[in-house]
Amino acid sequence: MYIVQVLSTTAPLMLAYYLASLGHSIVEKSGVLNLAIDGVFVLSVAVAFAQAIYTWNNPLIPVVISVASSIAVGLILVYTTSKLPVSHGAIGLSLMFLCYGLSGVIGVPARTQQGLTGQEVGYPISPVSSVWVLLYIVVVGLGFLLHYILERTKLGAMIKASGEDPLVAEALGVDVLKTRILAGVLGFALIGLGASAFELLYTRIWREGTGIGHGWIAFAVSLSSGRHPLLGIITAFLFALLYEYRFSILAVGLPREMADALPYITAITAMVIYMATPLKTKLKTPKSLGKPFFKEERTI
Amino acid sequence: MASISLVVVKRVKPLPSWVAPLLSFTLGIAVATVLLWIVTLGRTDPIVVLASIGRALAMPQLLLKNFALLTIVGIGLLVSFKASVFNIGGEGQFYFAIIAATWIALFSGVGAIAIINKVLMLVVGVLLAGFWALIAALPRGFLGIDEVPVTLLMNYIAYYIVDYLVFNPWREPKYKYPRTPTIPEESWFIRIPGTTGTIELILLTVVVMAGIWYLMNNTRLGLAINVMGSNPNVLRVVGINPSLIVVSSLVISGMIVGIAGVSYLAGEAHLITIPAEACTPMLGYTGILVAWLSMLRIAYVPVAAYIVSALINAGINIQIAGAGKASVVDVFIGTILLIYSISVIFTEYSVKIIVKR
Repeated sequence: MYIVQVLSTTAPLMLAYYLASLGHSIVEKSGVLNLAIDGVFVLSVAVAFAQAIYTWNNPLIPVVISVASSIAVGLILVYTTSKLPVSHGAIGLSLMFLCYGLSGVIGVPARTQQGLTGQEVGYPISPVSSVWVLLYIVVVGLGFLLHYILERTKLGAMIKASGEDPLVAEALGVDVLKTRILAGVLGFALIGLGASAFELLYTRIWREGTGIGHGWIAFAVSLSSGRHPLLGIITAFLFALLYEYRFSILAVGLPREMADALPYITAITAMVIYMATPLKTKLKTPKSLGKPFFKEERTI
Repeated sequence: MASISLVVVKRVKPLPSWVAPLLSFTLGIAVATVLLWIVTLGRTDPIVVLASIGRALAMPQLLLKNFALLTIVGIGLLVSFKASVFNIGGEGQFYFAIIAATWIALFSGVGAIAIINKVLMLVVGVLLAGFWALIAALPRGFLGIDEVPVTLLMNYIAYYIVDYLVFNPWREPKYKYPRTPTIPEESWFIRIPGTTGTIELILLTVVVMAGIWYLMNNTRLGLAINVMGSNPNVLRVVGINPSLIVVSSLVISGMIVGIAGVSYLAGEAHLITIPAEACTPMLGYTGILVAWLSMLRIAYVPVAAYIVSALINAGINIQIAGAGKASVVDVFIGTILLIYSISVIFTEYSVKIIVKR
């Protein structure tokens, strides 16, 4: 019974981290270094909150607009990095700043309105509800579906080829720009969905800065699992569990901050392990991740 | 049917290097102003925003602190960027220097002894910041693990270490606020009247600029760092281990950022407030903007730092629809950086629009 309770209290956060990390993994599998993730996550959280306020908790509109804004920012990242010889890191970090800023500018007026009307946002689902079982099944199913797409379909092969060696992929007839845009739309939609889950199912409140750092945890989930959709289920659950129970580990004598820092420590350790051990063949970073992809064109 | 396509072509002759930064500042400010106007549904007056930036630019005495701190951080990051090592971990190095300096000032017993305290704060602060950078530098140098995610994630680890220290052993005992006690007044940097700067900070800025200029232009290590950025194989040919150059550039970078951390504590904050991840002045991140916009030239770092510090001050004055200063500043910084990151390639490339019939 205790296990069921742990599973259901961890569910909202696990859902948010896992969806966002799945999206991040797909984007990076296609070779685009995604440093915008925390910014996009925070922006989508603010958009979901603001729309929930303005639409009186409409079940659909906040999620749709939040996902759309995530895709919009993601497309800027994917298009510029695949069309022009620009630095992935620079574009990603710029978008991160821009999204942090926009989230404040978008969220604060909605927060002010909330102060006047007392409107509540999100869905407080009871921890004993069977909805969580359903959500777990859907999310884990999604993980398996994406794993299947990546490993067994042509689209998956195209995405991975674009991330490993885009020039060779292009020579073999893959349209790298199109593939990355496709991966970007899918990936950022999932990141936006994760952020909506974070706001509407998990925090259900908003103030300036809500969500900052949680995008990086999703980033850490993805890195720790070697961008593998199925391994991500485990890391997302563990990091969500750690965050949810960070006050409880005080009882064991460990400081709460240790739990806060653990996802990041795990991610870095995992990167080192995946690079330095035989796990490399399956879980290492895509070879061309973050490398400018640019065919110089001389003919006019 | 006619199809239109964009083709990126290399220029025969590159544009002058100042074009991209100038373009991104002017266009960036314009775009950000319009963006704010749109997102707030017309509630921000573009004229007020621009006037606020203009006023901030015209008041150097109020910019002094951020200008000097950003110059130091910018120079520090430049050292690693020159080697094509992207130190995004300025925040963590900044805070590790603060941890060391706070310990010296509060708990080492020398906090109230003039001169020795400040010297020790700087030395230990710089060393600890360098150590934090070293942790990311070793796997980058010897295992080839991308330093960008590592330094970035280490910022958060550093924040939480600060949170732990301040929340538990270092917490001020009187009211139990989430902060340390104020460091002894003897360890404060001396404020220059009428400005936001301190004497020591200005001295340190000059020393850092001169020192790094000398390092980069007149020493073997500086040359190797420059070569590392363009062609690491040359280093192998002349018998220098590129791994060591990577490690030293990142560690030096972290140490310089550490100087800014100590100066921030001794000149401005005088205590640590937590949660660090929310209370940080974000100079480790904003410094990236400064270093990039300087086109990695030491002489241009202060110019970029001046403009960015003006934007920070302007953001503080613009209270848009109740959104805090940080949000507005971030919109400006993000837009300018984005435009710069894209426009900088047009120094060497141009875009042609081709219509095929």
